[in-house]
Amino acid sequence: MNKKKKMTGRQKTFAAIMIPALLLFFCFNTYPMIRGFIYGFTNYRGYGDFDWVGLRNYADLFTDPRIWNSYFFTFKYAICGTILVNVLSLLMALALNAKIKAKSFLRGVYFVPNILGGLVIGYIFSFFFTYILPALGQMWHISWIENSILSSKEFAWIGILIVGVWQAVAMTTIIYISGLQTVPDDVYEASKIDGAGKWKEFWDITFPLIIPFVGTNLVLTTKNFLMVFDQILSLTNGGPAQSTESISFLIYQNGLDGGQFGFQSANAVIFFIVIVLLSVFQLTMTSKKEEQL
Amino acid sequence: MRRKIKKGFLYGLSAVMLAAPLAGCASTDHDKTVKTVELLNYKPEAVDVFEEIERRFNETHDDIKLEVSSPNQAMTILKTRLVREDYPEIVGIGGDINYSNFLDAGLFEDISDVEALQEIKQAYLDMDKTLELVPQEGIYAMPFAANAAGILYNKEMFEEHGWKVPHNWDEFISLCKEIEKAGIQPLYAGYKDTWTTLAPWNALAVCVADEDAIARVNSGESTFEEEYSRVADRIKEMMPYIEDNPVAYGYNDAASAFARGQSAMWAIGSYAIPQIRSVNPEMEIGSFVMPAGDDESENNLNSGIDIQFSILKGSENKEEAREVLEFLNSDEIINLYLDAQGGIAAKEGDFPIPEELSDMKEYIDSGRMKDFPDHKYPSEMSVDALIQTYLINDSDTAKEEFLKKFDSDWQRYNRDTIRRIQEYEAKEKSENE
Repeated sequence: MNKKKKMTGRQKTFAAIMIPALLLFFCFNTYPMIRGFIYGFTNYRGYGDFDWVGLRNYADLFTDPRIWNSYFFTFKYAICGTILVNVLSLLMALALNAKIKAKSFLRGVYFVPNILGGLVIGYIFSFFFTYILPALGQMWHISWIENSILSSKEFAWIGILIVGVWQAVAMTTIIYISGLQTVPDDVYEASKIDGAGKWKEFWDITFPLIIPFVGTNLVLTTKNFLMVFDQILSLTNGGPAQSTESISFLIYQNGLDGGQFGFQSANAVIFFIVIVLLSVFQLTMTSKKEEQL
Repeated sequence: MRRKIKKGFLYGLSAVMLAAPLAGCASTDHDKTVKTVELLNYKPEAVDVFEEIERRFNETHDDIKLEVSSPNQAMTILKTRLVREDYPEIVGIGGDINYSNFLDAGLFEDISDVEALQEIKQAYLDMDKTLELVPQEGIYAMPFAANAAGILYNKEMFEEHGWKVPHNWDEFISLCKEIEKAGIQPLYAGYKDTWTTLAPWNALAVCVADEDAIARVNSGESTFEEEYSRVADRIKEMMPYIEDNPVAYGYNDAASAFARGQSAMWAIGSYAIPQIRSVNPEMEIGSFVMPAGDDESENNLNSGIDIQFSILKGSENKEEAREVLEFLNSDEIINLYLDAQGGIAAKEGDFPIPEELSDMKEYIDSGRMKDFPDHKYPSEMSVDALIQTYLINDSDTAKEEFLKKFDSDWQRYNRDTIRRIQEYEAKEKSENE
């Protein structure tokens, strides 16, 4: 018990830096989360009186087809989105990192979608899908776009996917570009001397060296795609026939607008656990493949 | 008059000056003499008329200051304020499921002692009674204005072709066929915005479904599969006369299309008229009662309380708020509001009916009106999305699937309410014995 030492000045500085951040994090993240966890055991409507209902909300979650559909939709969307975004971004990053004209200008242009707000983009694309694309379809007699794809129960999610990917590629590309710039020129020279082709150079030199960036991007894009919200609000509002309700959309819609604050809090708790597990899994997978020079 | 304004200004100024050094001191002398009543109005489109009401009230009252706020997304703002227990004195909201829930959560004050209530049409007071999830004693809202929903039609177009307003379902369907023959789109719909599916649904349901349907289902005597069978048939029968692929277009698209004469009719409430006028200010719009019945006698006008006022139990100046209610119910204010917003007055008396609703006058005068059934559907059940799903489902079993789901979802989302109603009924029974 005599190990109680006084903090050194250095430690005090660290503490002074860390404690405010910790407090802020606790107030605005941890504390609301604990509150939400507690509300998950009630039938609270968001205001007024409520009763404790124990684990009923959790039991309901697993038997509610609407919840299952939202999880199915969200994961389908996130998996396709993550793959598409990362493949496209990597290609874009390679192109924008090559010796081409107007490189910085093009990098700027390709970053624009990230600056625009999700709702703005959504409404523009909504107009595009509802009026422009069907008009083109009728002109060229392409049957599958003669009607707005957003009004089709089977394909509306693809419309949302296109918008989501279009927007997400911007940020991911920037991260990949910075990743590509960390690969030193001498390894490329070495591979050239050994006679490696472009394809081999990419798979055996570039890719292993930017694995940490792939890992970060995978986690970030998966997380962002799982939380898809504003695209849905502006493009389909969950329809048609409830086919594009994502988990966050449902939590917002029914938790705040409808009177299911308690039930959707329970849903949010489950969703949080799912995202944490997924992120941990992805990080351990990619860190195993990491290469060091 | 001038003196009063000046006095008010001085009070205001001195209050500001005093407030700074005395912050933290709960009340100054001035706070005691001038009490503030906040009115939160949920209709942002009525902001101008409410500002005028605020001005007129403050001109004539020295001891009470009325503050009106009309935010966008008022329901969300109100709900977040309720979570923080920050209560305005008065809320002006619609007679819908939100009212039911707020009342059920014990937020509202019993205002049966407000004299103005004596002058409200009984039909609207009854309507509020039916909105109580579990029957309550007392009166908790003062109905102010009502709206009406049926079918809007293009008057010029109807006159030009000599089409007549239909009075029963057969007439309606043959009218649609006739319009189609003339090469015009009979109906337009914006079913991408799912809530718009509820407009025809409600208007049909007040005619061909029983008013007690929900109560019967809640007590376990019946199912929606029985109660809503005809409503489901008729709403689907309208589909061939609506533009192709209506789920591709939203409410605004439909309003623009109707305003530009792309269709002869639109099944929506009178609340859409300002939106249509913003596209085509010159348009002559008419509105008739949904002719859903096999016979005219089966029809009812779908009319609900568009705005009503309630006092919050947790607010500070409840006595003063009562005075504001009396003021709001004066003929002067009601006329002012109807002039600006249209609609039907909830107060007894000779108030004008808007030009667009003149075809419905008979129903309004004789009180053949019924509330929107969806005012009793829990919003998280998303009945509008269920209807949309049904309308685009082309399989033979579509209706059965839809109504079965309606029944099972109803039980799921209303579980707590149904249990409490049954408890209440059991208690009533045992007390009577």
